[in-house]
Amino acid sequence: MKARHLIWIRRISQGVFLALFLFLLIQTRFPSTAYQDYSLTMTTEQDIRVAYPVSFFFQLDPLIWLTSLLSGHVWMKGFLWAVGVLLLTLLLGRFFCGFVCPLGTIHHMVSVIRPTLKGKALIEANQKMRSERIKYFLLIAVLVSALFGLNAAGILDPMSLLFRSLTLAVFPGVGNAIKAACDVIAASDIKPFNLLGYAAEEIASPLFGYGYPAYQTGWLIGGFFLTILFLNRIRFRFWCRTLCPLGALFGVVSRFSLLKLEKNEGKCTDCQKCTLACQGAASPGPAVDWDSSECLLCFNCFNQCPEDAITFRFRWFPAQNRGPDMGRRAVLGGLAAGVSIPLFGRLDGQVYRVSDPRLIRPPGSAEEKDFLRLCQRCGLCMKVCPTNVIHPALAEGGMAGFWTPRLIMTLGYCEYTCTLCGSVCPTGAIAGITGKEKVERPIRIGSAYLDRGRCLPWSGNGPCIVCEEHCPTSPKAIYLRPDTQTRLDGTRVTVQLPYVDLGRCVGCGICENKCPVKGKPAIRVMAAGETRSVKNQILLDI
Amino acid sequence: MDDAITRREAIKTGLYLSGSLALACAAGWPDHGLSEAHAEVKKGRFLVEGAGETPGYSVQTLTEKVFEAAGGMGAFVSRGDVVVIKPNISWARTPSLAASTNPEVLEAVIRLAFNAGAKKVRIADNTIHNAERCFALTGAAMAAQKTGAELVHPRSSMMQDMKMQGHRLDVWPVFVPLVEADKVINLPIAKVHGLSVLTLGMKNWIGGVGGRRNALHQDMHQTIVDLAHFFKPTLTLIDAIRIMVANGPSGGNESDVAVTNRLILSNDPVAADVKAAGLFHVAPASVGYMVLAEKQGLGISDLTTLTEKRVVL
Repeated sequence: MKARHLIWIRRISQGVFLALFLFLLIQTRFPSTAYQDYSLTMTTEQDIRVAYPVSFFFQLDPLIWLTSLLSGHVWMKGFLWAVGVLLLTLLLGRFFCGFVCPLGTIHHMVSVIRPTLKGKALIEANQKMRSERIKYFLLIAVLVSALFGLNAAGILDPMSLLFRSLTLAVFPGVGNAIKAACDVIAASDIKPFNLLGYAAEEIASPLFGYGYPAYQTGWLIGGFFLTILFLNRIRFRFWCRTLCPLGALFGVVSRFSLLKLEKNEGKCTDCQKCTLACQGAASPGPAVDWDSSECLLCFNCFNQCPEDAITFRFRWFPAQNRGPDMGRRAVLGGLAAGVSIPLFGRLDGQVYRVSDPRLIRPPGSAEEKDFLRLCQRCGLCMKVCPTNVIHPALAEGGMAGFWTPRLIMTLGYCEYTCTLCGSVCPTGAIAGITGKEKVERPIRIGSAYLDRGRCLPWSGNGPCIVCEEHCPTSPKAIYLRPDTQTRLDGTRVTVQLPYVDLGRCVGCGICENKCPVKGKPAIRVMAAGETRSVKNQILLDI
Repeated sequence: MDDAITRREAIKTGLYLSGSLALACAAGWPDHGLSEAHAEVKKGRFLVEGAGETPGYSVQTLTEKVFEAAGGMGAFVSRGDVVVIKPNISWARTPSLAASTNPEVLEAVIRLAFNAGAKKVRIADNTIHNAERCFALTGAAMAAQKTGAELVHPRSSMMQDMKMQGHRLDVWPVFVPLVEADKVINLPIAKVHGLSVLTLGMKNWIGGVGGRRNALHQDMHQTIVDLAHFFKPTLTLIDAIRIMVANGPSGGNESDVAVTNRLILSNDPVAADVKAAGLFHVAPASVGYMVLAEKQGLGISDLTTLTEKRVVL
């Protein structure tokens, strides 16, 4: 095969996988074409599910498979894909980085389109560097940490990172801007403008979400994403070379890869064109050994070499590649970090003592200890939630729970029969429950409590039954008792005072969400009473 | 050179222009589409009650018969009309739980409107639960799909401030498609409610507005009447095939539902509600908004003053 063809195959593959990633990301939502056939289902409710296998890229990812196995001791759904990717890596090397990884593709594009580095500076930047060891440090740290019960891989895993960044920062950021523009145009009194605004919104909303999506710490996630994109100005594919723990894992496995770069040093004129084009600083040039662990398999060197001095060939055992350059410090440091992270992560008492009342996990979530073993912080549950109630935690879950999902009832609420979040969770940190189970067991995510000083009828500020009206359980967990109150002007009014029956409350939070007292509502939900925890209970009988 | 305007003149002209533009905008403001949508309740007040008494009767046929008895949909909808239907599909519940308008009735009404020559039929409700889930679970999405009606997604750009001129509500954001139509059909389901006692036709208009709806409860009855006055539908058809008799308005259990197999169609919003109250054995005089509505001239609660028909299937 000609090198030029190989380059184009790589580019097409990169484009296809990036497009597929974006497509599945957009499809991670309540399906807009869903409907129930009422002639068949007058009496039963089917669980509506996302129409596409949206966790596919997470199943492809061996780092997610390994960490959930090491830490959660579960074989995640579809892990054979990840096994397949690892086997292919044994054969081909880091093909995933060069041909598949959507984050790698984005870095590749940012690096190559209008590059900041040229000529000598570029050759300089494409030399092998010690900083490349950082990724091995990070890989060892997340693997060891997973072994000791805290799965932190998702913070840096490229699939989780990209999904989280796009879905919680980039898309909502762009979407909010479009929506704001549509609102302005739609408010116009001039009819054609008006219609244009509606039409634009009709097109944009399915992509970016209806309304103004918001995510706690979205700015931080976006800032982190922009930073790693910016790093491509320092070195091409800085992330892939220096930081990516999945790349490091592939690097370790690539040591044994059968596809090898062969240099014909006799033909080489030392023109450096290969080094100029190298995406991975894998030493394609003369005089040094090729680094299989750093090679992203972009085939640029193969394509660029004017003398045909570079070829890729399959070579069977016992021909070995140069081992990954980890460095003793990276290994020892990684081990030390991996042991300390889980230990330090539990010092705040969240796991062993009492958890933050604001740490309300999605329905079906595993018990906190197991949750932290499995959650990849990828943001699938946050994206799919139709009410935008699930947010990445900042400090509510302690250090260990950073960016794990948490419900904020003032921004959304958990729909009584909806179980979409669990149905898309790639590792089972949120179990895939049915709507029937959720209602009949019931699966509680917390409990509501009243703040009588804020409540309109309790504080003598007039009638209101909004929380009771919205309470979805049957019979309602919020009930009313009539009371006669004397107002400031002496008039007597009859109001109905709300009470919460903890035995019925499931913590869905629609009361908090719809309460007319905004910001800090008069009825709020705390995590106590959540089904997933034996400790975090209020009532004797549950 | 003499023709060139000075800086001062330029600023002056600019101010005049922007001032008159602002005035024009202010003057042009909220009276869109209010003109025709509200057929006045003048001549021929009527009420038709449909009852399905044979087991296994067709809800759709009953709906058709009820309209037939009222003179046919053609008496209300003209060729080329844009018809908007306001169901109550606010809760993401299956039809069996009677929290939302029966999709069979909805489907039949849409078909009747199309058969009468309607150019477009829209279904519009500003839902409480997530709109897409409401559409999917209540059957409204399927009714729209089957019939070709347009299901309007309630979104903030479609809520525009309009002048209510009510006793309590002055300017309030209104769900635009409900006023930008030639004919409006109110299609609620009958349910109990913790504050307003019953939610029937007039209360259904709470779902026609946006904004701080959860503050309306502080003067529920007057705000219901203000809204009913503002929207004033061509027809009210109360779906009482299944009614919610407990745990309203959200329900959630089959035991909250009673099967009454009734439809109530009227061009008098007060009379329709009064008739439906009978199904719950509630005295209309004890329901604040019904009393207020009559007092403020929205309709007449005395059912002997109108032509009442009964259709049995």
